[in-house]
Amino acid sequence: MNAFRFAWRSLIRQPARASLGVIGVAAVGALLFDMLMLSNGLVLSMQTLLGRSGFTLRVSAAGSPLPGTGQPISDSTETAAAIAALPEVAAAVPVRFANSRILRDAWERAIDADLVGIDQAQRRIWTLVEGGDLGSAGLAGRALVNENLAALLALEIGDMVHLQANCGMGISAAPAVHLPLAGVADFELDDSDDLTVALTLQDVDRACGGEGRDAADQILINAADGVPDQEARVAIERHRPDLQAFTNAQLVARLQEGGLSYFRQISLVLTTVTITFAFLLVTVLLTVSVNQRVGEIAVLRALGLSQRRVIADVFCESVLLVGTGALLAVPIGFVLARGLDRILKAIPGVPDELHFFVYEPRALWIHVALFSATALLAAAYPMRMVANLPIAGTLRREVIG
Amino acid sequence: MTVVEARDITRVFPMPAAPVVAVRGVSIRIEAGDYVALCGPSGCGKSTLLHLLGCVDMPTSGALFFEERDVAGLNDRQRSRIRLRRLGFIFQRFFLLPMLTAAENIALPLSEAGVSRPEQERRTAELLNYVGLSARAEHRPSQLSGGEMQRVAIARALANRPALLLADEPTGELDQATGEQIAALLDRVNADGTALVVVTHDPAFAKRSRRTLTMRDGTILLEETRP
Repeated sequence: MNAFRFAWRSLIRQPARASLGVIGVAAVGALLFDMLMLSNGLVLSMQTLLGRSGFTLRVSAAGSPLPGTGQPISDSTETAAAIAALPEVAAAVPVRFANSRILRDAWERAIDADLVGIDQAQRRIWTLVEGGDLGSAGLAGRALVNENLAALLALEIGDMVHLQANCGMGISAAPAVHLPLAGVADFELDDSDDLTVALTLQDVDRACGGEGRDAADQILINAADGVPDQEARVAIERHRPDLQAFTNAQLVARLQEGGLSYFRQISLVLTTVTITFAFLLVTVLLTVSVNQRVGEIAVLRALGLSQRRVIADVFCESVLLVGTGALLAVPIGFVLARGLDRILKAIPGVPDELHFFVYEPRALWIHVALFSATALLAAAYPMRMVANLPIAGTLRREVIG
Repeated sequence: MTVVEARDITRVFPMPAAPVVAVRGVSIRIEAGDYVALCGPSGCGKSTLLHLLGCVDMPTSGALFFEERDVAGLNDRQRSRIRLRRLGFIFQRFFLLPMLTAAENIALPLSEAGVSRPEQERRTAELLNYVGLSARAEHRPSQLSGGEMQRVAIARALANRPALLLADEPTGELDQATGEQIAALLDRVNADGTALVVVTHDPAFAKRSRRTLTMRDGTILLEETRP
């Protein structure tokens, strides 16, 4: 009977204790697995989100810590056209983000909605569901809304949309703009409950009371085929030193250095706590188990089983306890992560597409490595007890006992 | 041929109050096929001497030779090999592993000795038959009587065909009739060629041996030899 089979038989001899041990390790392991998914989850999710828009670079005014956080880019249509003309660039789309209040009728209560100003000359960031498109620069005077907003306001194609813009300094003093609804669209960056309205940049300027400024928060860029993003970034900054270009990878790195590092730190602390719990749990279980069986172990040694063999028995028990628990921890961890993700995503302003817990193979490998180390370390003390067990003294005590 | 020889061995246990001398200057030689009974009052050092002869404990002074090899010069692994292949132990409380069946308990030393699975099965069946428990092969210790458990323990001790069988009060936990059956079985084991050293309080059992050593205060007080 090999050490694994022997350990298995030893464990199932006390099914309640073994089950409790496995459940304990599984619960702790599920938390650990979740912490590993959390440590890099937002970064991975952000990468996916940035990649999903189809744009690989974002341009903003020089000195902005992140795109859209600094000064707006003025003359954005002209700037975007100049950038698009660079051989390293395939497309350049200026966009402006603001908030707005939509009034179904002049006397009704207003509804807050996200306002996107865009000239989609080369590339749209939405899919048209119904009606016509917004139109490129120069064809101002039409609005596009998402399905949520259309449903909430019972808007039909051709209905007038009454909009007051909030362009960073409270609701603009400019009067509401009234635009006919051109179509209903599914916006790529929308959440499931977002209310979004899109206008041309020219109309957003007008709504913000800055007609003619042609301001944009950022210009979304696609590098030309075969041109690395980094090369396109250098070309843009060389062409326009007053602008700053970020590749998606740079953006993720910046976010990692900033706010997202807190999640990594939290997950590191919780990972340490959970793995310590797993270690203590298994150590206690094995130590109790060995203490209860010292007589048997002494008999095995007296019968000629080697020190190495009885140590292997204890180690295999640890591997079985930790291994089974860690294995169960993975599906439990996935279910738990889904629930926790739902709770965290309920925080206002978190996009639907953003996930806090994201699976990556690395998380699984770290999970396996940490639990392998736990199985070894947790068994260390009981293995030492077994290795140093005085055979004759223990037999004598067992007989007297 | 001498299986085990102790030359002036002493075993001292360090205790907080004062060291306890459990075995004091004992010399003894066990030959192949010998049948020795160790008698004496509780605490006189019988079990300690048995443990020393069985290489599970080391003398504080003196020399111990197992099949002419100085045990003091062997490491733990080598002493384990001797216990596995050349020695058999029987305990008063049987000490069968409760999670294993009778057959698995017997097969354990065979498996540890690297015996092939078919050979393990063959030898286990043979031993179960030898101790009259073929029908109980798949029973757990909790499903066996005291006498049956001790028979399984004897079969386990004989698994690797030891040269010497050491029994520490093998009938101590059994009623008189069952004890008699176990004693008869051990007589048979000895008659088949295995040397036997038995620690016992039972004078009737001791009389079955060819040599009875009576101990007191860690020394051999009296040696009786029977033909």
